[in-house]
Amino acid sequence: MSFQELIRKETPIGWCPGCGLYGTFYAACEVIDESNNPNTVIVSGIGCTGRGSGYFYLDSVHGLHGRAIPLAVGVKISNPKLDVIVFSGDGDLLGIGGNHLLHAARRNDDITIICNNNEVFAMTGGQVAPTTRLGSITTTTPKGNTAESINAQAIILSNKKHFYARSSPIFKEHFKSCLKEAKNHNGFSFIELINPCITNVGRLGKTPAQIFGEIKEKYKIINDNRPLEDNELGIVKNG
Amino acid sequence: MVNIARLLSGNDAVVEGALAAGLDFFSAYPITPATEIMESIAKTNVKFIQGEDEIAAITMCIGASLAGSKAMTATSGPGFSLKQESIGYAFKIGVPLLIVCCQRVGPSTGMATFGAQGDILQAKHGSHGDYVNIVITPNSVEECYKYTIEAINASEESHSPVILLVDGLIAHMHETVILEGLKSAIKKRSLEPLGSGKRHFTGLTSKGNTPKDKDPLIYREWYNARKKEILDAAKNYEFYEYIQNPNSDTLLVAYGISSRVILSLRNRYSIFRPIRLFPIIEELEGIAKKYHKIVIIEMNDGQYRDEIQSFLKREVRLISQLGGKISLAEIQNELSRID
Repeated sequence: MSFQELIRKETPIGWCPGCGLYGTFYAACEVIDESNNPNTVIVSGIGCTGRGSGYFYLDSVHGLHGRAIPLAVGVKISNPKLDVIVFSGDGDLLGIGGNHLLHAARRNDDITIICNNNEVFAMTGGQVAPTTRLGSITTTTPKGNTAESINAQAIILSNKKHFYARSSPIFKEHFKSCLKEAKNHNGFSFIELINPCITNVGRLGKTPAQIFGEIKEKYKIINDNRPLEDNELGIVKNG
Repeated sequence: MVNIARLLSGNDAVVEGALAAGLDFFSAYPITPATEIMESIAKTNVKFIQGEDEIAAITMCIGASLAGSKAMTATSGPGFSLKQESIGYAFKIGVPLLIVCCQRVGPSTGMATFGAQGDILQAKHGSHGDYVNIVITPNSVEECYKYTIEAINASEESHSPVILLVDGLIAHMHETVILEGLKSAIKKRSLEPLGSGKRHFTGLTSKGNTPKDKDPLIYREWYNARKKEILDAAKNYEFYEYIQNPNSDTLLVAYGISSRVILSLRNRYSIFRPIRLFPIIEELEGIAKKYHKIVIIEMNDGQYRDEIQSFLKREVRLISQLGGKISLAEIQNELSRID
């Protein structure tokens, strides 16, 4: 099988040209293809990333805003043989669905989460999100965001048993290795992908090349299983 | 085999009915007066998780149902409100699911330990947009058993969420019951479980597995077919009771606990008791024509009165019993004024 067989051909992809989600999606398809597990189910919530579940040529469920995690947990408990992957965004998982994230991580529910962090509510046109950086201009913070962005790593690591990975589709091979390890992890695994929205950040004067170029320059990959600094990508796990 | 009489509460009987109907998965969040349902199921072999909140509980049920489990959740008014968006979602994607709502008094937190019938309208249509629901309401412990089975069957047959509206009084009332012989044939799951195909389940208006949310025609086609599926299935669940008194020119309408309280009035009046509240029982139209007056007795401010008034296109008088108190003396007093 090739990863292209995991793409639903009849459904046009609606993401903006140049969006990092293409890279996220294709890399995820490659990992699922290489894992050779036909019992994979994709679950998502609402938003640009949430639309992604419909692009996989697999049984997939596109749920309500914020509810990807409990949908996935229900699927997994009902049939533990299924490999359940949540493919959703930061607004969905860390904002409106934040309570579900807290408790699924605490219960160590055996699901894998790919959280695409584009730092904004993108599909609705660029409102401030829990992940938006301090000072950023959005349509609902015209004078700049007055709050610090959420620390997903700290939330996940507050549980004794944990799996947190930070990567980016800009570092494709690294993301793929994180996803492989997350899928094999027995318990709750969370991958945060640094992937700023080129449209909503871009309209403030940056080109996609500049946005992705800054990520390439800023982040370095580490392999020593310790909490990550702000400019580091890697995996932090226990249990 | 000896049929054993057992002393059960309405909530106990809901659990017994769900087990008899082949329940595989249950999730809920603690709420009076429904909590005992969850506590009882936690002791069985049914796959169970206590949700972190009401929305998580129903969403886990939807996921479990998609993955092949007969699923159920149980709640009361405040939790039922929180679940409404998910009920519309389950309708949209065609997922069988039973939602039990044990009604209590009030808007907001209200009077948690007092029973009521205040969730009639949100059971009919508490979610947004176009949809139809099958809503069934029992009036005894025995019926809690019987109609839990029927409600799960109806959800399987209609591929949609079904509401079992219990009131807090029936939920906590204990009665001696013999459950043997009450069970109807169990409907099997027809939806293929997740993992067996290449389907895409989405809340978006779609054609096949592809979202198509810019075409009114696709929406209309989808909705009409979905509505028909549910209304057709509902024909197999036409539950009501009609007690005819040839000397009466007044028809009393009551359901749930109210119908128990007014039962002794059958010596003077005819009584119509809808067990399936929605879709409204069609036969009511013909029955109502025989009476000069129609009076409804319910523990809310006229929720079902408004529904049958618009269904029958004539006046329906209301005797409203609010605040968790229902009294035959009060009802008789009001009836004498209407007479």
